Amino acid sequence: MIDLLQLIFGTPFIVRALIAAILIAMIASTSGTFLVFRGLSFMASGVAHAALGGAALGFFLQETGFFPWFDPVLGAVLFAVLVAVMTGYAGESGIAQKMEVAVGVSFALSMSLAVFLMYYIPSDKVLVLWGYLVGDILLLTNQDVVLLVITTTLVVAVILMLNKEFVYVSVDYEGAIAHGMNARAYHYVMLVVSAIAIALATKAVGAILVYAILVAPAAASNELVKSVTGVMVAVFSIALFAQVIGIMISFAIAVSPSAIAGLIAAFSYVVALQVRRIRERARDQKLFEADKEETIPATFEGVVVPDDHSGHNH
Amino acid sequence: MTTEEQLAVPLLEAQDLAVKYPNGELALHDMTFSIDAPSFTAIIGPNGSGKSTLIKTILGLMKPVHGFVRVLGHDSVKDSKTIQRLIRYVPQRDHIELTVPMRVKDIVLMGRLMKKPPPRFVSGKDREVGKSALKRVDMIDLWDRPFPELSGGQRQRVLVARALAGEGQILVLDEPLAGTDAESQKMIVEALGEYQRDFDVSIIMVTHDLNPIHVFVKHVLLLRNTLVGIGTPCDVMDPELIKRVYGPAAEVVEYAGHRYCITPDSGVDRHD
Ligand SMILES: Nc1ncnc2c1ncn2[C@@H]1O[C@H](COP(=O)(O)OP(=O)(O)OP(=O)(O)O)[C@@H](O)[C@H]1O
Ligand SMILES: [Mg+2]
Repeated sequence: MIDLLQLIFGTPFIVRALIAAILIAMIASTSGTFLVFRGLSFMASGVAHAALGGAALGFFLQETGFFPWFDPVLGAVLFAVLVAVMTGYAGESGIAQKMEVAVGVSFALSMSLAVFLMYYIPSDKVLVLWGYLVGDILLLTNQDVVLLVITTTLVVAVILMLNKEFVYVSVDYEGAIAHGMNARAYHYVMLVVSAIAIALATKAVGAILVYAILVAPAAASNELVKSVTGVMVAVFSIALFAQVIGIMISFAIAVSPSAIAGLIAAFSYVVALQVRRIRERARDQKLFEADKEETIPATFEGVVVPDDHSGHNH
Repeated sequence: MTTEEQLAVPLLEAQDLAVKYPNGELALHDMTFSIDAPSFTAIIGPNGSGKSTLIKTILGLMKPVHGFVRVLGHDSVKDSKTIQRLIRYVPQRDHIELTVPMRVKDIVLMGRLMKKPPPRFVSGKDREVGKSALKRVDMIDLWDRPFPELSGGQRQRVLVARALAGEGQILVLDEPLAGTDAESQKMIVEALGEYQRDFDVSIIMVTHDLNPIHVFVKHVLLLRNTLVGIGTPCDVMDPELIKRVYGPAAEVVEYAGHRYCITPDSGVDRHD
């Protein structure tokens, strides 16, 4: 046991992977949870793929020597924020449908751009670019982890500070404005901060895993847990569990840890739906039985004529 | 301003008010009226007649394209910050998003916390006021229950409690009686009526049915994309007026010395 722990914590790439797993679970429990509350889970996917497009542009500009300072990470963050702002603008009326369309369009746009630019990027860089799609948590560099720490701190701080505001804006957008809250500002802050986190998480573990880890645990927890804090804790646990199991299995058999983590995360949603159905059936059963007991004696008391409220006197 | 002058300021004052949606839909036009404070005002009219639009304009959520509306003397556009302090608002029930796991207490406390500066911590007083608001609508037993799991009528009562728990002289409620049974309606209407009397606030509410509320209501605004009628509930029980708003199917019938108003929206209403 001690040996195993020594082996794990003595191996830098495993330590980096575990740290990243914790950080991404924190992003999921904050950003992911609030995006699902806001009915915006699809934005996580749009933003993650926009990050891919932005990174492709970064590689292209660097390689062609147009803008050698244009780092792919910068491109990823810029594109992600752009998509978030566009989505936010489309959704200012408070209608989620319009945001869905905006995300769909920017998704198509950034993926097309990425595929288009791939022909003009040297093949070793194309491999790095693929990392944005199907990244590997075991291949993180120290720099990746540092970036992830910074962005996670930002997201967690903002969401802990403004969680009531985000909740109120999600529950009752009009009411929040009418009572003097700057709902529009909160709406944008939430989207932009989430976008930055998603972009950097995408660089670390790939768009597909980011999407799975950000959305599925939040959706699963939201089916079962009845308080905002409870959902956040549940999301953190599911996301961390999925990733750690993914990392462990990848040592036993040759398989990508992201794939396992994504599968577990998605599976958690299926399980949550089942649990919810069973719970509801049990509750209906109880209600039905209580009803039976109450209504049977009532029939012996005769029919009660309901108070006629259709006429009033002045 | 002295108290007397304040009393003289009308609750609502509109002049040539016109409101348009971005898609070009002219939802309201040529609205000129004035309502004295304090009041229990009902806004009625068929679907799409601009009731919610009028409310959103009063609250500063929409800007007039023409004319103005003032709330206790404050312009809805220029003084929107002041108005936001004065009002407590409950939108139409379907505007409340149910994906967030709020409990009944969270919804009621929201009525107080939305007006607090960040970090919006809950005080003992908030809790106390929230509980007494829930008692007024007989929902106190549901304090810890998940809001999305309540029935439609129960949710509506909790939302009314949210308004009762808040602070501000004017309560604005968009269709608080929608989808409620006779018992819930009675409960909500009495809670609002008593609250208005006890605390000397004004209430503006949108409704489709004058029947359950006309005992408490002081002023009625009858809308059909413009102001069609204004007055006491009895005043607007005019056959011509009702037909103009609700179409030929609507009738005002006299029977045994009482007046009944029959509209597709409201069923039967009796007036002397
Ligand atoms: N967001 C919107 N965009 C464009 N037009 C709108 C919008 N909301 C309402 N309208 C239009 O404005 C008019 C008035 O709508 P409003 O919602 O104020 O009616 P209402 O009296 O509240 O109706 P209801 O009884 O159905 O709630 C309608 O013709 C409607 O089509
Ligand atoms: Mg309406």
